[in-house]
Amino acid sequence: MHTTKTIYLTVTPPEESGLVIEKFLHSGWRLKALSSIKEQFDFYDTFEWNAFEKKVAIVKTNKSLSLVDLNTGRETDSVAFKRNPSIFFPADLPPGKLKERLLSYNDIRAFIKLCSIDSFIRSYHILDDNEKTIGVLTATSLCLEGQNNEGSFPSLISLIPLRGYQEEIEKAVRHNSLGSALDFKELFLWIMSASGQNVQGYSSKISLTLDADASIYESTQRLLQFTLSILQKNEHGIRNDIDTEFLHDYRVAIRRTRSILKQLKGIYDPKETAFYLNTFKELGKLTNPLRDSDVYLLKQETYCNYLPPFLQSSLKPFFCDIDASRKKSYRLFCRYLASSDYQFFLHKWKQFVHQESLPDTGQAPNASLSTRTVAESTIKKAWKKVIRHGRHISTETTDTELHALRIDCKKLRYLLEFFSSIFPPKTIIPVIRKMKELQENLGDFVDLAVQLQFLHNRLSALPAGKEELLSAASIGSLMATLFQKQEEARRQFHKTFRSFDNDETAQLFHDLLSGASAK
Amino acid sequence: MKTIAIYSIKGGVGKTATAVNLSYLSSLHSLPSLICDLDPQGASSFYFRITASKKFNSDKFLKGNKKIHSHIKATDYEHLDLLPSDFSYRNLDIELSEENKPRKKLKKNLEELSEDYRFIFFDCPPNLTLLSESVFAASDIILVPMIPTTLSMRTYFQLTEFFEDNNLDSSKIRAFFTMVEKRKKMHRDIINEFRNIPGFLTQTIPNNSEVEKMGIYRAPLNAVLPNAIAAKAYRNLWNELSAVLGE
Repeated sequence: MHTTKTIYLTVTPPEESGLVIEKFLHSGWRLKALSSIKEQFDFYDTFEWNAFEKKVAIVKTNKSLSLVDLNTGRETDSVAFKRNPSIFFPADLPPGKLKERLLSYNDIRAFIKLCSIDSFIRSYHILDDNEKTIGVLTATSLCLEGQNNEGSFPSLISLIPLRGYQEEIEKAVRHNSLGSALDFKELFLWIMSASGQNVQGYSSKISLTLDADASIYESTQRLLQFTLSILQKNEHGIRNDIDTEFLHDYRVAIRRTRSILKQLKGIYDPKETAFYLNTFKELGKLTNPLRDSDVYLLKQETYCNYLPPFLQSSLKPFFCDIDASRKKSYRLFCRYLASSDYQFFLHKWKQFVHQESLPDTGQAPNASLSTRTVAESTIKKAWKKVIRHGRHISTETTDTELHALRIDCKKLRYLLEFFSSIFPPKTIIPVIRKMKELQENLGDFVDLAVQLQFLHNRLSALPAGKEELLSAASIGSLMATLFQKQEEARRQFHKTFRSFDNDETAQLFHDLLSGASAK
Repeated sequence: MKTIAIYSIKGGVGKTATAVNLSYLSSLHSLPSLICDLDPQGASSFYFRITASKKFNSDKFLKGNKKIHSHIKATDYEHLDLLPSDFSYRNLDIELSEENKPRKKLKKNLEELSEDYRFIFFDCPPNLTLLSESVFAASDIILVPMIPTTLSMRTYFQLTEFFEDNNLDSSKIRAFFTMVEKRKKMHRDIINEFRNIPGFLTQTIPNNSEVEKMGIYRAPLNAVLPNAIAAKAYRNLWNELSAVLGE
């Protein structure tokens, strides 16, 4: 269907909006008042700005939730929504296109209220000299919710031409040089900045651009500063229990930190890093029970779908218990986050990652080597290790063998991610893609093994008695299904590994590490 | 998409009033309608207060789809758009005759609009020309307003004969009586004679000063005075026609 493009104008100072409208009407047109309303708009997005990434703004009025295309300012989807939550999950929305779209942006994260804007909107029909309606003019004054800062923001005028009148209205705007044109994306960014939001200010992906010729010490300090910032940025979301991904990213930041300290040898004084490595290890352990509960609760629907309908409700006690244990783990971990121990540790760690002078060469002989030298040699070593260990995996493909290889792969993957910026994307991206396939297979296998063990423990702990029969049956059925899946992953391993351990991948690594990759 | 031509060889029979009111009534069901003003006099464009853009002319109209698409204008009523006519349409016949397959031209030119509109109404000029033939080919229904007079009836028979002579599908033709004055015996007699024969709709439109005043309001009667006698008659006519269209 044909659509027209809304023209947005900003008028500064806001009191001049009347003058601007008057100028616009010079051509013999007039306005016919339509309505005058006060409305509040709330803006939502995930912590990672998934909607903004898709060029969409999520706007809530008092009745509905809408998706607005940031380029055109047009509402593309809408759903009745009378609540006013500080966060919501797309899974809880009524079925429909909007729900599907939000789920496709991110099906796991909460959409968080970013800010609320009070708006006073007067609407008019624009009539031409034939008294024909050719568009709608709205004059809007905005202010942050509850703040009387009307004067400090520009007024907004939007002109919505009816079909066939775009050109005429645009011409009148141009001819009278009215206000300054503003597209919806600019308006959105302006509102965000007025409310103190840092658009796209968070991504857990390592986005640093390292200098290949700088010392490895300088680069690892930057990497550690980055992982520290991720750690800190996620604390608030964990404390407020917004969604499971805050803890997930927090844990990844811990693992990355440990990986930098452990894998890149000779860059720091080992005596000094031993303390940090150990504390981060303990910190990781502290998060385990909470993350485990999160994982099972996220799988609730999947697990139920694995079972025949008559057994599904028998899983309820299992999830109730996990939910209860999650509450406990959450409280414990939050208490730790607020503790002076943790604060003191972070303070010390912050000082450590901001030290600029190179450590003593006796304790840290490699600190002054170039980033490229260290990156290439450590990646090479880690890759060779994956190949060597992978080739040694027996035809039985034991759990221990696969667990160990998974860790080797993870180490290699982290190194590739740390240093990806010093390699040309065309050489690093295919390498990471190859890694991903293998890691997915191993990840599935190990996750299933952990889940099976967990269920086994649960089953063993069930009290004897008839009333537990259905519970035991549901856990048993679930274990059978998960076991099938685990065996499938085990069967797939050699095939997946072969497609990783081949001439093509070897060539990719060779290209990456041969120096031919120098930018 | 259903296409309805409001057509009569004779002028002054209320074609435009019919096209304006029926297209308005069809648009009330939330699916969009389009009215194509094919008459160079531009009466339906006038009723909707719309003038064609300076860049639009018969040439653009004959180029079809995209050129037509960009010149469609919204009326003041939701879900009702209009393709205005231009004075250059007076030469449409000559230009059409120079086209390849002129009789199929209109149908082809509107193909792309089928996704956008549920109903398309043609407000046709009063004559029987190549353009009319192109309209016949493009229309699902040819709705013929008729004043119950001898001359009017004569043009109706001219039309049906033309269809027969040219092997056209005369089952598309639907006639109805308009500008009916019940106090006139001749009107009553003619209506009684024809209203039950196949192809004639039973609803009639009275000769009502409100209809004439549409020129002053410049709006569909059904939008301004929905309770006027003629407005009710148009509403019934639309219901009857909808049934014919299988709506």
